[in-house]
Amino acid sequence: MYAFQYHRPETVADAAGLLAANKEAKLLAGGHTLIPTMKQRLANPPAIVDLSRVAELKGIDKRGSALVIGAMATHDEVAGSAAVRAAIPGLCELAAAIGDPHVRNRGTIGGSVANNDPAADYPAAVLALGATIATNKREIKADDFFKGLFSTALGDGEIITRISFPIPGKFAYAKFANPASRYALVGVAVAQSGREARVAVTGAGSNGVFRHKAAEAALAANWSAQALANLATPASDMMSDIHADAEYRAHLVGVLARRAVAKAG
Amino acid sequence: MAVTMSGEVVLPADRATVWRRLNDADTLKASIPGCESLEKLSDTEMQAVAKVKIGPVSARFKGKVQLTDIDAPNSYRISGQGDGGIAGFAKGGANVRLSDEGGGGTRLAYDVDAQVGGKIAQLGGRLIDSTAKKLADEFFANFAKALSADT
Repeated sequence: MYAFQYHRPETVADAAGLLAANKEAKLLAGGHTLIPTMKQRLANPPAIVDLSRVAELKGIDKRGSALVIGAMATHDEVAGSAAVRAAIPGLCELAAAIGDPHVRNRGTIGGSVANNDPAADYPAAVLALGATIATNKREIKADDFFKGLFSTALGDGEIITRISFPIPGKFAYAKFANPASRYALVGVAVAQSGREARVAVTGAGSNGVFRHKAAEAALAANWSAQALANLATPASDMMSDIHADAEYRAHLVGVLARRAVAKAG
Repeated sequence: MAVTMSGEVVLPADRATVWRRLNDADTLKASIPGCESLEKLSDTEMQAVAKVKIGPVSARFKGKVQLTDIDAPNSYRISGQGDGGIAGFAKGGANVRLSDEGGGGTRLAYDVDAQVGGKIAQLGGRLIDSTAKKLADEFFANFAKALSADT
């Protein structure tokens, strides 16, 4: 790791000010992506802005018909939250299966969503549930947020403050985890609200998380695993790497979509 | 690890123009994602420095490439290596072929064969192919924009 300045502000406004003063500064949330990268000297930000003391970013509660989760809520906090379990229990299960206990004790929903790793779990849930990402500058709908590999709509110096999930009728997430890293080789999130079905896939697409339109159409007509019996996913859009090739991933999308629907009930 | 990638893109200019711009240092500098400098050492040799940022990783690559098998304005092979310091290295090449496309455009087809090694390959193996594709897409989007800006 190279030398850097360390800041630990207590308000979002102070954090934003620090970022504005130093364009190359990086935000530190859970640190499980940034710190290992810095230790390998693959990233050398001159300054780190640690968000762990910003109280405004914590908190999980139900507000009206939405579940609102603070950006700095850890995966462990979400997994164990009574509010989340009451509103969207599938989200507890998703959080409980991210990485390992070390990752879950530190990793945050804000960090995961801002980083948009193509194999992360939260982006699939955020997209499937049609959540709204609130930042210190504006609110961004999930459909407008994820822009590709590690790319989001966040501008320079923009900080996610909380994510608001409309409470669905049904929601579940099923993933085929890489046995070593527990990243999603393929992960499928399905949500139903009224007659609308949303299906988001992570881990598989060569351009990051995406909505599976064919699956959504099939489920809107008939919410059941059978409706997805012959679900086709073009292998040309899938990622191929040392863990799985595109054809296998395309196949897994169907398997996991069916499992997710069965889990959702 | 080995990286192979092929693609095709249709560009909004005629073949002679595309060929000329592919060999133009200023156009290439504007097209290569994160390019900080690019100089032509000769008609067939170039060197460049580019800062590549993907997710948390930010690495500066110094590269040197040669153009061989030149068949103007139809095809060439561009090959060389990039040194990313502690991040690792990449070496290999691409065969580039141009053909006329309807409406005064040009179809550019490329086949890349490369080796990526060092830390980025070791730690980022699962992302190498999609990152390579993303950078290629960005290059061609920038290149097409440079072509349209002129016409």
